[in-house]
Amino acid sequence: MHGFMNGLARFMAVVGGLVLTALILLICISVLGRAINTLLYSGPVVALLGDFTKTLLATGVGPILGDFELVEAGVAFAIFAFIPFCQITGGHATVDIFTSGLSVRVNRLIQMIVDIVFAAVLILIAMQLYEGMLSKMQYRETTFLIQFPIWWSYAASLVAAVVGAVIGVYVAFVRLFEFFGNRTIMSVGGADH
Amino acid sequence: MTNLELGMASFPALLILIFLRVPIGLAMFLVGLFGLFFVTGSFNMGFARLKSETYSTFSSYSLSIIPMFLLMGHFATLGGMSQSLFKAAEAWLGHRKGGVAMSAVGACAGFGAICGSSLATAATMSQVALPELKRYGYSGGFSTATLAAGGTLGILIPPSVILVIYAILTEQNIAKLFLSAFIPGILAAIGYMITIAIYARLHPDEAGAPRARMPYGQRLRALRDVWPVLTVFVVVVGGIYMGVFTPTEGAAVGALGTGLIAFANGGLNRHSFLGSFMATARSTAMIFFIVLGAAFYNGFLALTQVPQELSNYVVGLGLSPWMVLTIVLLLYLVFGAVMDSLSMILLTIPIFFPIIVALDFGMTTEEVAIWFGILVLIVVEVGLITPPVGMNLFVINSMDRLTPMIETYKSVMYFVASDIIRVVILVIFPGITLFALRMMY
Repeated sequence: MHGFMNGLARFMAVVGGLVLTALILLICISVLGRAINTLLYSGPVVALLGDFTKTLLATGVGPILGDFELVEAGVAFAIFAFIPFCQITGGHATVDIFTSGLSVRVNRLIQMIVDIVFAAVLILIAMQLYEGMLSKMQYRETTFLIQFPIWWSYAASLVAAVVGAVIGVYVAFVRLFEFFGNRTIMSVGGADH
Repeated sequence: MTNLELGMASFPALLILIFLRVPIGLAMFLVGLFGLFFVTGSFNMGFARLKSETYSTFSSYSLSIIPMFLLMGHFATLGGMSQSLFKAAEAWLGHRKGGVAMSAVGACAGFGAICGSSLATAATMSQVALPELKRYGYSGGFSTATLAAGGTLGILIPPSVILVIYAILTEQNIAKLFLSAFIPGILAAIGYMITIAIYARLHPDEAGAPRARMPYGQRLRALRDVWPVLTVFVVVVGGIYMGVFTPTEGAAVGALGTGLIAFANGGLNRHSFLGSFMATARSTAMIFFIVLGAAFYNGFLALTQVPQELSNYVVGLGLSPWMVLTIVLLLYLVFGAVMDSLSMILLTIPIFFPIIVALDFGMTTEEVAIWFGILVLIVVEVGLITPPVGMNLFVINSMDRLTPMIETYKSVMYFVASDIIRVVILVIFPGITLFALRMMY
């Protein structure tokens, strides 16, 4: 079970990372296209190449239309996809100054409560994201430039958010077993440094 | 309870949750959600905001800089950039008292020049410098505090995520802000090195043994190895200066560039590539959950009008401009110690900025705007290393499991003192900050 959940969280992190890499490449291509486009309009280049610049410009070289919108949609998915891995490795920032003086048992109790609440919040986020997606569908909202339906990007993010909620619930169950079984199954943080 | 009282009561509530080891982002989220419940009498408003706010926070174009710079930082590490920076700094500074810690600060300054995030700088440099500091016998508290403070150079030395957001909010020129941040950034690095020299003399048992002095030939060779950092810095920051691309585009170009360098150096294979995804995933999710929580908490705070009441109170006192500026900066210091810097800027600049530029400091409006921006950047950055909830402290401390948080807290106070001295100097002499700007324009 832990192997499966861990694998799922890692898989999502890698998919998110690949999407992020794709966005980086997309932006770089767009920047390059824009640079070439600007160059082909500049005086010296026109003087040098003459009408050939028009031929090159006719190929449509230039910035990618709506790269901004694709980045927004992609990065939202990537970040939702990153949450499960952070959750299962206990990667969230915490303050241990007070609790480090308490007993292991009390710490397990606190950790259990925190992770149950966290699971509830992740479920709430996924549910409300679903609601948000429905309203974007209903009003047929699209992005400004390339006019793709916003609910598509909501749907992609929703898949990742649901995985986040599943992992959150799993972590909460692990903490329940840890507290009532009085043993450590999964470490808190520091799993992947 | 009135709304104002509710807002005030939320501060201790937030602190109690955070001290009970509730993750900071979750704590802010919960206080914000329940705060909205108490103000409006139902969960409807909080739930309605969640329908679009999680998505819009995560899909922010300007915030997409964060995962890109984090990935860039990991590529830079794999490409041996943090390593070569640290080696170069160590060749020049390693033989001094506290020299290895000074080298860490010097390398942080170099890394800050290709990285716009404090957390990423602190995290990346720690991977290289923490083991070295330990090897030379530096105490855990001193090592982690040095790196947490050094990490703040990541936002002080351009490119800087916070400055970009300040520029957008106040409609100032990003390139001019970046230019003006240089001298204060260099001053910060020098200040930290002086702090280390003093600390090493006050606590010799914590500062390990100095290394042997290196011959100059070897020092120069170490310096030669940092050229990839220089190239990336010139392209990314230069490109943003010249208006060739937006900061997000700069981050993407930088990430691709460092990725290619890492690949060329043989540091990037399938395994390390996936590893950098994992590390980026973990830190990105952590940061964005805090941004989300802060947005929720700040939404609630704004509704209770606590920030407005506070700024009204400040203006109503009828004090001199310098006194008002001091009070504003003190407020940032206090808030910075408990709040997320990014959200703090987003929440407070719209309130404080008009007040500050309306006052007469004997400078043009643009100069005041840029000077104030740099000062805010520094005090916000002080918040990153101020106990109890300085973000840098958590990030670094989480990388060194053997050092209790309290040890980091104790040592970092020296660096906080150095920061405060620097802020006082920059407030008294605005010419230091504005020197580069006045020379160039």
